[in-house]
Amino acid sequence: MNYLLLSLMGGFLALDGTSVGQFMVSRPLVAGIVAGWVVGDPALGLLIGGVLEVYFISMFPVGGAVFPEGGPATLVGVVAAAQLGGAPGLAVGVLMGLLWSRLSAWSIRLLRRINGRLAPDPTATGVTPRKVATAHLAGVGIDFVRGAILTFAGLVGGAWVASTLGPHWPLDRNTTLGLLAVGASVPAGAFVASLGGWRRRRLLLGMGFLGALALGWVL
Amino acid sequence: MSRLTFRTKLAVFLRAFLIQGSWNNRRMVGGGFGFALLPVLREVFRGQEATLNEAAQRHSEHFNSHPYMANLALGAVSRMEERGADPEEIRRFKIAVRGPLGSLGDALIWAGWRPAVVLAGLTLALLGAPPEWTVLFFLIVYNLGHLALRTWGFRTGLAQGSDVGGALRFLSIPRQADRISGIGVFLLAVVAGLVLGRGLTANLEMALWIGPAALGLWLGSRVGQKAFKPLVRGVAALMIVIFLAGWFG
Repeated sequence: MNYLLLSLMGGFLALDGTSVGQFMVSRPLVAGIVAGWVVGDPALGLLIGGVLEVYFISMFPVGGAVFPEGGPATLVGVVAAAQLGGAPGLAVGVLMGLLWSRLSAWSIRLLRRINGRLAPDPTATGVTPRKVATAHLAGVGIDFVRGAILTFAGLVGGAWVASTLGPHWPLDRNTTLGLLAVGASVPAGAFVASLGGWRRRRLLLGMGFLGALALGWVL
Repeated sequence: MSRLTFRTKLAVFLRAFLIQGSWNNRRMVGGGFGFALLPVLREVFRGQEATLNEAAQRHSEHFNSHPYMANLALGAVSRMEERGADPEEIRRFKIAVRGPLGSLGDALIWAGWRPAVVLAGLTLALLGAPPEWTVLFFLIVYNLGHLALRTWGFRTGLAQGSDVGGALRFLSIPRQADRISGIGVFLLAVVAGLVLGRGLTANLEMALWIGPAALGLWLGSRVGQKAFKPLVRGVAALMIVIFLAGWFG
């Protein structure tokens, strides 16, 4: 697997997260499936991306909040998972995705500090259009490099975790999925609470859950 | 006074996609706002270097907005600069709109449109759609809304200048955001139902996880977004303990 190309892909995913466009190519669902194609297993990418998507569902980047970055983290998780497959792959993929999302949040904080130093001071004299444009585009470039370095480090770290810890995962697939579903239920609860609460949304929640439960059973 | 050319307006619209490129805690999207507006300033203040520098400086001051909704302010300020509005009037306008453009965009997009379309994509995947269809569905539907909002904002700002408040009220964004959020909550319940229904069909032992999952839902609804950091730490620590238990066991 070409780590250089995957790292560049991580850089582009990081850009989409905040700096450029925000077309949501960097959402775990999309990044997971795309990474799955790259490693030759889109279904695995969908599984890891889908799980991470629910973990991040309640995080809204409102105001100046620092948020977990899903794109590079999901890419790292899927590539690590593909080295093992099965329940150990699922466990390693989600673990790397969660850890790298936290590391991404830390690197975003650092990026913002650097951007603050690069930006021309509006109260100082000598601010020109060229200085405004240069500082801004430098911020975009640094964000790309940040995403690429973060992804590269994650790919190396993920390969190590997959080869050392991965084979020792003792749980089967259903137990692993159950464990991850319990974890995902916490952000799901936070999501409902943020968007009106259980009491106000009870009809929608009841209809959706019971209807889908029956459909899931039939399918 | 000059009339903005199509090329200038297009340049501002395209640069707006990079508005968060130099986000920082002191000026937030101020640098991006100044960068996006430069084509207008260069056209309006052509041949007046000192005035152009002064305009670039004042538009790089602190500003914040949801990135998609910032187009409304960019369009309006472009029009105001074109008409030769007083710089102090423009500054007051930017201060007045930055709060509403941030909070309305956050409610409409980050808490409404994005999770609703993501959950619709997950629902499709759980119903058996191939991964490529899930990706295409999400990207196309999400970005139809995204690009429509950016285009509407820029055009409305350009057409109405500083009078954009009426357009915002006409859209009644808080009510629309609440409706979309309701759809998101419904789709979350659908995803949960499908996961459980399919899990139980595959293996009845999955029913054992219903109790802990219900507890997790309750906990999440009590703690809210603050639960994320401890959750990640807790899940990661638990998984590492399980790995180590497997290693030594």
